[in-house]
Amino acid sequence: MLTSDGFAWTNRWHRHHPAEKGLLAGGMLVLAVTLPAPTTAPIIIAVMFVTTVLGAGIPAVTWLRLMALPSGFLITSVPFLALSLNFSSGLQVVFSPQGLEVALSVLLRSLAAVSCLTFLTLTTPTIDLVPLLRRVGVPPAVVEIMLLTYRLVFVFLERAATGHQAQIARQGYVGLRNTLRSLGLLVTSLFQRSLERSRRMEIGLTARGFQGELRVLAPKRSISRARVASAAGLLLGVAAAGLVLDATVR
Amino acid sequence: MTSIALAANGIDYTYPGEVRALKQLDLTIEKGQRLAILGANGSGKTTLLLHLNGTLRPSAGRILIDGRPLSYDRRSLVALRSRVGLVLQEPDDQLFSANVYQDVSFGPLNLGLSEAATRSRIDAALEALRISHLRDRATHMLSFGQKKRVAIAGMLAMQPEILILDEPTAGLDPHGVNHLLSVLHRLHETGTTLVFSTHDVDLAYTWADQIAVFADGTVLKQGEAAAMLADRELLRTARLKMPLILEIAEALYCRRPAWAAIGPPRSKDALLHLLEQTIGGPQ
Ligand SMILES: Nc1ncnc2c1ncn2[C@@H]1O[C@H](COP(=O)(O)OP(=O)(O)O)[C@@H](O)[C@H]1O
Ligand SMILES: [Mg+2]
Repeated sequence: MLTSDGFAWTNRWHRHHPAEKGLLAGGMLVLAVTLPAPTTAPIIIAVMFVTTVLGAGIPAVTWLRLMALPSGFLITSVPFLALSLNFSSGLQVVFSPQGLEVALSVLLRSLAAVSCLTFLTLTTPTIDLVPLLRRVGVPPAVVEIMLLTYRLVFVFLERAATGHQAQIARQGYVGLRNTLRSLGLLVTSLFQRSLERSRRMEIGLTARGFQGELRVLAPKRSISRARVASAAGLLLGVAAAGLVLDATVR
Repeated sequence: MTSIALAANGIDYTYPGEVRALKQLDLTIEKGQRLAILGANGSGKTTLLLHLNGTLRPSAGRILIDGRPLSYDRRSLVALRSRVGLVLQEPDDQLFSANVYQDVSFGPLNLGLSEAATRSRIDAALEALRISHLRDRATHMLSFGQKKRVAIAGMLAMQPEILILDEPTAGLDPHGVNHLLSVLHRLHETGTTLVFSTHDVDLAYTWADQIAVFADGTVLKQGEAAAMLADRELLRTARLKMPLILEIAEALYCRRPAWAAIGPPRSKDALLHLLEQTIGGPQ
């Protein structure tokens, strides 16, 4: 999660309006779910790979690593869809060719969908998507808590990491007994520090005029017509290619 | 004629648990001045600064703004904090937003500024701290020095009349310190009153107009910087040492008593000049 967050903030497209990236990822996702899978899905995966790696400049290894986990899960579980249970004469496990076809297309669709989400995760900080929530009617208080949590997670992780290192430096994790004791101490100290931090943060924010509402302005980003047009073009192209291929194969 | 912007009159403060942090403390901040609050660790500097923006309320004595006692109702406090900006020592206590630009926008929006005015304040504040290139950066990906600048920018964007910084140079490298001092220099030239706390006598000596020497929860003495730091007795009581420049100058005065009349050197260059005269000049 942390690596993808890092890339999300620094990739070549990090300044692009989130809606542009959302359009591309969301559009491809719709295509992946609706169009014939065997032909369209591989095209989508290829296109998303190229956009993420060559477009946004994410290392191919990172893309592969992020794809690997859900893919592994899908590849090991989806084949079971090809099997069905037959109870007519006792219990029988039946393997059917139609089942195999269904399983294959589910697998491809899912992989294509994952590639769209991977693109979005690697190019757009999650937090940039939160203001969109406010627009669809999520209460401001909930959105504020999400924004604040996002920041505090990192402060917390930093504290946890330094505390952990300090314990390692003093042999805190040598042997089971020390390990358990150290972990317990770390957790209690983190809890105390979090309380202390929230108290001080309240002072810090009050000094900045905080009166109960965390209002902020996002950096101004304009939607580029050219990029929206290219995204739309790409979506149309993929859809056309998928359908034509499907027609020729049949 | 100087006019007093903010003052503390005989304030006392005790933390829960009977830690008596401030005792009978007096302090005056004049308009347009650069004041250093100089004291050892744990002497109560932070506690005092928290009184100056109304975060803490003295158990005795009072805070005066424009000569009138501060009242502690919500409205007065909000008004006070729009004029008196406090930058805490730890930037993580003041930064709450995911990216730099959003974070700096917080203060101006709280002042009720329009979106357009807020955006121009943000641009100006980022420019003043020379961090315009960080505007889209994630807060958690900044170095300590960068976070500190962002925290200061967040306060500058509110354009306070009095800017108070708690140990602003703590944790900065020499380059970071120089950078900060040049930012403060420009602010001072545009008329902002500046107050900062430190335990660094050399810094206080070269930077401040006035120094309030702080020890054990009270201001021992407040006055012109060179006079405060030349007072060995005072420094000893406050567990501070004399600035290096002054120390060397005093040694020189022993050999050339007549030079003491010129007045103490205020900068490294002035000291070097004095040294050249001693070494190269006629006996
Ligand atoms: N939140 C607190 N609760 C109790 N005691 C505190 C608290 N903050 C500071 N103190 C105590 O008050 C005294 C002054 O602290 P502080 O104002 O932080 O000093 P300085 O900023 O000069 O280092 C110290 O003895 C410190 O231990
Ligand atoms: Mg302090």
